[in-house]
Amino acid sequence: MTIKKKPNYNFIIGSILTGLIVALALVSLVYTPYDPDAMDAANKFAGISLKHPMGCDNFGRDIFSRVMEGTKNTLFVALGTVAIGTVFGILLGAFTGYFGGILDEILMRINDAIFAFPSILLALVIVSLLGSGKYNVMIALGIAFIPSFARIVRAEFLKNRELDYVKSARLMGAGSLRIMFVHILPNTFSVLASSVMIGFNNAVLAEAGMSFLGIGVQPPDASLGRMLSEAQTYLFSTPSYAFFPGLVIILMVLGFSLLSEGISQKSV
Amino acid sequence: MLLEVKDLNIEFHDHLTPETVVYDFNLSLKEGEIVGIVGESGSGKTMSALAIAGLLNRKDMKKSGEILFDGKDLLTCKRSELRSYQGNDISMIFQEPMTSLNPVKKIGAQVEESLKIHTNLTKEERYQKAISILNDVEIKDPESVYHKYPHQLSGGMRQRVMIASAMILEPKILIADEPTTALDVTIQAQIIKLLKKLNKQKKTSILFISHDLSLVRTLCHRAIVMKQGYILEEGNIEEIFEHPKEAYTKQLIEAIPALEL
Ligand SMILES: Nc1ncnc2c1ncn2[C@@H]1O[C@H](COP(=O)(O)OP(=O)(O)O)[C@@H](O)[C@H]1O
Ligand SMILES: [Mg+2]
Repeated sequence: MTIKKKPNYNFIIGSILTGLIVALALVSLVYTPYDPDAMDAANKFAGISLKHPMGCDNFGRDIFSRVMEGTKNTLFVALGTVAIGTVFGILLGAFTGYFGGILDEILMRINDAIFAFPSILLALVIVSLLGSGKYNVMIALGIAFIPSFARIVRAEFLKNRELDYVKSARLMGAGSLRIMFVHILPNTFSVLASSVMIGFNNAVLAEAGMSFLGIGVQPPDASLGRMLSEAQTYLFSTPSYAFFPGLVIILMVLGFSLLSEGISQKSV
Repeated sequence: MLLEVKDLNIEFHDHLTPETVVYDFNLSLKEGEIVGIVGESGSGKTMSALAIAGLLNRKDMKKSGEILFDGKDLLTCKRSELRSYQGNDISMIFQEPMTSLNPVKKIGAQVEESLKIHTNLTKEERYQKAISILNDVEIKDPESVYHKYPHQLSGGMRQRVMIASAMILEPKILIADEPTTALDVTIQAQIIKLLKKLNKQKKTSILFISHDLSLVRTLCHRAIVMKQGYILEEGNIEEIFEHPKEAYTKQLIEAIPALEL
């Protein structure tokens, strides 16, 4: 018997939005209508036209090209952030959750302490130590993200290690590492998938926020957050300068949120 | 003697006062023999079985006595040595076929797990062995079951899969902890028949744990009766059923519904 399910709109719309944004970033790797950094004094603040679908900025740079470039950089930073957060979060969560004991106590207290700081504040501190630039932002945000992933993974490992299938695996002579990463880890993927999406979401916002404050991605690299901050001055004269990067951020965040919702709906 | 357990005591130290859950447990198991452990729930059957399987190695519990397998004491041997027995020589199946299979891995991979750990067989050889053991446990269409996930199978099928994965290396001892309790009566009878067949064909000794005396009677050669952590009596199956020494055993026998399958 198959129960007819309502289509998972969250998942569908989320996938489409995310797909479009990722496609935009991928295309920017090989093609942008103009060189995103090429200044053209003649086109300073050029309005929306067929040649410049989003207009031009204060240096006469094509905003559409810069949005593409910025989307790429923002996604790249988000990807790196989430990768660092997930990999270390999984390692930390797996070992503490599976073995428990005193190591778990110590690491989790440290984790709680880090978790207590807003991640953007923590990232600010780390960036001020490492210096700005997109790789340092990635590392800083990545570190700030580890605790939340570690918690989720630890909780799943705590739950799973008591289950009979783990006992059977141990009984077949499987070692701890094999049990942790071959048997238990795949069981955490559905929970992890939805938090990875939330992670992307937060990473995009955090990167945009940091770049907006001038400590994230550095010029000449375009970033959506940077564009927003540069556009502030011209908000009334050239609203399109701020509008389009802002729109892409919103669509990106919306896409990831819907996808995350959709994934957790799917796995129920 | 294949397995000899001498004066096994199991104590929990996870509360303020230590709690002994198994006292002076003794057991001997010959090759090809099926021994039953019966007793009400909470009497220490599972704990004894887990200890024999080498699964009770939490730091907060204490075990004393000896568990001799082929003359080697499993309680004191090295972890690595214990692991080389587990799956290879001693296997175990559990009560809940729902939770004893990994929900996100395909049946084939789970049946082959012991082969991956203990042998160097190629992928193709593992596949052949898996299909053959799935046939042995009387699963129809093993090639398609191989590619299924646990949730696509019924409880009885899952328990057969568990037996297959426990038996694939033809262990000398199979410990079955209430393997039929979660199944309905007709499936129970099939699983008992299957265990009997495997015992005959492969000479596997079985330690069969159950609170259902009628099952123990149809399957086992000998039985041990446990209550509150103690062994009350043990002996030949007919002896226990015909001439129980203890009042408690009599009660258990009288409690069997007079319904014959
Ligand atoms: N963590 C624990 N701490 C203390 N006692 C426990 C713990 N786990 C189980 N027990 C006790 O061990 C006894 C034996 O349990 P078990 O072997 O599972 O019984 P059976 O399998 O015969 O139903 C029970 O009385 C149970 O309460
Ligand atoms: Mg039990």
